[in-house]
Amino acid sequence: MSIRLLLIIFFLLISVVPLSIVVFISFDHSRDVIRETVDFNVQSAAKNTANEIDNWMDARRDDIRVLSQSRIILNADKRDLYDYLNTFQNEYRGVYREFFMLDRNGNIKFSTLDHTGNASKDPYFNEAMNGKLYISDVYLSPVFGDPEIIISSPIRNNRITTGVFAARVSLENLYRDIENIDIGKSAEIFIVNKDGSVIFHENRSIIGSIRNDLAVSEVTYEKNDVRDYTNYRGEKVLGSYYWLPLYRWGIIVEIKQDEAYSGVLSLGEQTVGVSSIAVICVVILAIILSKRITAPIKSLENGALGLVEGNFKPVQVTSSNEIGRLTDIFNNTAKELLNIRKKLEAKIELANKDLEEKNRELIAANEELKKLDELKSEFLSLVSHELKTPLSSMRISAEYLESEADADPAIQKEMLAIILRNIDRQTRLINDILDLSKIEAGKTELRLEHVDIGEIANVSVDNIRQIALKKNITVSADVPEELSPVLADREKLIIVLNNLLDNALKFTPEGGSINISAREMDSSVELSIKDTGIGIEKEKLDKIFDKFYQVDSTSRRKIGGCGLGLSISSGIIKAHDSAIHVKSEPGKGTTFSFSLKKVEK
Amino acid sequence: MKKDTIDDKILELVKQDEGISNKEIARILGVAEGEVSYRIRKFSDTRSKILIVDDEMDTLLPLKRSLEVDDYGVVEAHNGDEAIEKAKSELPDLILLDVMLPGMDGYEVCDRLRKDQLTEKIPIIMLTAKDEMGDKVEGLETGADDYVTKPFNLGELKARIKSVLRRSRNM
Repeated sequence: MSIRLLLIIFFLLISVVPLSIVVFISFDHSRDVIRETVDFNVQSAAKNTANEIDNWMDARRDDIRVLSQSRIILNADKRDLYDYLNTFQNEYRGVYREFFMLDRNGNIKFSTLDHTGNASKDPYFNEAMNGKLYISDVYLSPVFGDPEIIISSPIRNNRITTGVFAARVSLENLYRDIENIDIGKSAEIFIVNKDGSVIFHENRSIIGSIRNDLAVSEVTYEKNDVRDYTNYRGEKVLGSYYWLPLYRWGIIVEIKQDEAYSGVLSLGEQTVGVSSIAVICVVILAIILSKRITAPIKSLENGALGLVEGNFKPVQVTSSNEIGRLTDIFNNTAKELLNIRKKLEAKIELANKDLEEKNRELIAANEELKKLDELKSEFLSLVSHELKTPLSSMRISAEYLESEADADPAIQKEMLAIILRNIDRQTRLINDILDLSKIEAGKTELRLEHVDIGEIANVSVDNIRQIALKKNITVSADVPEELSPVLADREKLIIVLNNLLDNALKFTPEGGSINISAREMDSSVELSIKDTGIGIEKEKLDKIFDKFYQVDSTSRRKIGGCGLGLSISSGIIKAHDSAIHVKSEPGKGTTFSFSLKKVEK
Repeated sequence: MKKDTIDDKILELVKQDEGISNKEIARILGVAEGEVSYRIRKFSDTRSKILIVDDEMDTLLPLKRSLEVDDYGVVEAHNGDEAIEKAKSELPDLILLDVMLPGMDGYEVCDRLRKDQLTEKIPIIMLTAKDEMGDKVEGLETGADDYVTKPFNLGELKARIKSVLRRSRNM
């Protein structure tokens, strides 16, 4: 998760969560307050109505009580009654419709409307006879067709109830008063009696009974409360009901919930709106802020990536705070790193070159070794061949002699000659190999003595003269007479000279010449053997003294030997602290030379 | 081939006149009388002919003598080129081929003989001082029929010659 996202989430957490909690709590609180207020208002409406009714009823009851106890009533003089009661009736225009008096048996003995009849079974008569001031249930007036009640009061004379005074009272006045009570716009007020029949409704047409209204059934059980419910019209309403036990009336005030709680709803909307704006502001702020914080970090990251990928550009410093300082440090470090890298690369290049060179050298050395190895195995097979060939010849010859005992004596002699020749050849070869292995092992023991090189040279030349003559090769020696003696191993020196002369003989074609010469130097004597042979190519010159080496392996057969002569000779001269030098030109000839120290005087 | 035509001409002359002398044939064909008599002797030579190829005269000579005693006709060659030339002109029944020859070595001689229609069927026994396995395989791969290492037992060599000849005759 990026720092920026983290920052945004962090800001949201620290701002939106507490904000939401505060908003929710205050909203909840306000809603409760609004609800309480609304409930209170609805309840007040019901109570106000009840008060209004009480007040009105109290006035009526007082009127009736006072009238029932007045002298005029007690005297019961009809003319006085008419005057008095009519005046009273007029005074309360339309409230009192009829005053009447009943005797103890319930017979109407006086009526302002001259009604007659018996009311001994009516509750208002019986209740009044029992001494109560009674208010009857509401009924529809048979004369006017609108709701009215009868209020009755006992007439007492010396504490004896002599009859009942009653009045028919129109409720129109009361209803108009109720209608004037302010209970709110959509509020509906109605009054039911104990049966649940509507006895008052501002819409007068709904007079009769109402069912399916919770408030009606509750209030007829004489309960008082404020509640949310669905009313008889199927509307969700907040209703308050209030039971007036004295008149057995239930007052019901209903107000539609949407109207009642419109305050809560708009408060909710406002709250949501304000909090949404706040959240959006916070988010925008968080994004801007996080960008301001993370942008330098991001450019640092890009700079670091660039450094890794090799296209580093200094990161722009945009602030002087910690990140700014960090950017500065990063830039400097990166430059330093690039410098170091350049230096390292240069060093690595050098090292690589060095390594390549070493590698080449190693490869060359390896090639050398391989060649040497090839030479060695070639030499071994050669030695094997050279050793086995004479053996083979001897064996076949001997087997022939053994199986052909009576063969031609000439052939027998021929076979014996072959055997002897090959024994000599084998002996020579074995000696050569032994000499070489001694030289190789550094075990050459020199028996140093005073040697006259001239004498040895002449003897050697005499040795090959016979063979040279056969090949028609001229052999000459240029040796000064009084040569200084040198310190050398005589026997080994003879071997060297024989080898060199043998070689010259082998490689010089018919009609050529071989010359041996000696000359005196400052502290040594130099000996040279020059031939007019086939010569040696320049690139092969420095290898001819290697053991096993032969200039041309195909020439080996024609010429004989196995490439040991020069190695042996070179080893012997080296043992004398000197070296054999060679000069050659292919086709023209070769000169071998070496020098030996004079005997110190 | 030149020699073969001489052989053909000699045969033709003898057919025309059975009583013709060697001297007369030599005169007609313009060659030495000795060669004519050598060629006529060869016509009647029914012995198995063996070509020995070796540069070591000291090996070749006693071998030749021994084989001649056993009644083989022996032809010599001292290097690779000579070996191929003799194989083609003499068409021997068997070749004893030394591996270590100056110039062209035994393997190459063997290879060339096997590639020539005239000589491809001639059995070859390789002779060498080398006795490493690699060389044996090399020898047989180039088409040699057998391999004998120096120094060899003459009896063994003769036995192998007989066996190789018997095999080639049966083919």
